[in-house]
Amino acid sequence: MSSKPRETANVGAGLWKATGMWAWLFFRISGVLLAVYLLAHIIVISTGHFDWLDRLMKAFDNPLMVILDLALVVAVLYHALNGVRVILMDFGIGIHRHKVMFWTAVAVIVICFAVFAYVAFTFIATGAGVNW
Amino acid sequence: MAEITFRVKRQDPTDKKNPEARWEDYKVPFEGNLTVLEGLFYIQEQYDGSLSFRYCCRASICGSCAMYINGAYRLACQTNIKHLDIIHDAEPVVTVQPMPHVPLVKDLVCDMDDFFAKYEYIEPWLIRNSQDPEKEILQSPKDRKQIDMPIDCILCGCCYSSCPSVWGEENYLGPAALLKAYRFEVDSRDEARKERLPRWDNERGVYRCHTIRNCQEACPKELSPTEGIQWLKKAAVRRRLFGRMK
Repeated sequence: MSSKPRETANVGAGLWKATGMWAWLFFRISGVLLAVYLLAHIIVISTGHFDWLDRLMKAFDNPLMVILDLALVVAVLYHALNGVRVILMDFGIGIHRHKVMFWTAVAVIVICFAVFAYVAFTFIATGAGVNW
Repeated sequence: MAEITFRVKRQDPTDKKNPEARWEDYKVPFEGNLTVLEGLFYIQEQYDGSLSFRYCCRASICGSCAMYINGAYRLACQTNIKHLDIIHDAEPVVTVQPMPHVPLVKDLVCDMDDFFAKYEYIEPWLIRNSQDPEKEILQSPKDRKQIDMPIDCILCGCCYSSCPSVWGEENYLGPAALLKAYRFEVDSRDEARKERLPRWDNERGVYRCHTIRNCQEACPKELSPTEGIQWLKKAAVRRRLFGRMK
């Protein structure tokens, strides 16, 4: 195929109303973030400096790090649930219900996030875990 | 409301003096059932004869006048201005631009060569290996129903232009060609499944589709190329696993 210059101005302005486009974009972004996170995670674990690791774990008590942890929860949940949605569609399940599936995934994430956020902010406020 | 503003994106890449894109406003008298295509005719006749756009049937059957109108893929002939949201504005503006992500020829005319080359690659015609019957090839109503959706495709190219997989990989066949592959895959009269299979069963074919579904959102005929592509994926996997040629 030829590679001619393409009309790209105002890229897909109307398409941003489409649920599938956002689902795909967030899927890609969360995938890249998780790949970077996992790489960093594996590198740190594989150094074998456990005193160093202990100090690092202490650093995670910092409220900013707790909030970043929450962001990680959202990225993992979204990537996992949207992955299930895409696999189901690949099997031909819910082809006409992809928006419902997307919003179901979002609802599950919101509920899980609420639980995690409750734990996290209790920790930030009191410095201890939640007594369930 | 007597007049309506058409904001048209003009560009002539071959014009050495002024090859850049520019927006131009035209006032068009508005009444009752004015379509975008009729508005473009008016501009061409009254203001600027050099305005270029494709059209043919004026009945949303030929797929020539697909454009990007007010932030959505639409057929100019099918788009009645009184049905657009902007009609409630104090000064309604209809924004008309060529389909994004497709090479531009001039003004609203897109270069669809790649699109049709890919379409042709899929061999979009009925192929028979067995002896033809004396009269027509019979098909049960149930089998005929299978091809109800894909035969409505008018090859306007909206799905092709809207697909992020096409933007990123220029050799990807695109939703329209794959929908046509699906159309013959489910047609009980066709006998070239084995020959067509290697053309779409690869990373330039169905597996490049990430089920983003922009094609479904864009289609002016409200078809679902994604549905066809997913059906093809399933058929391909079934064949790989069980070696079954249905």
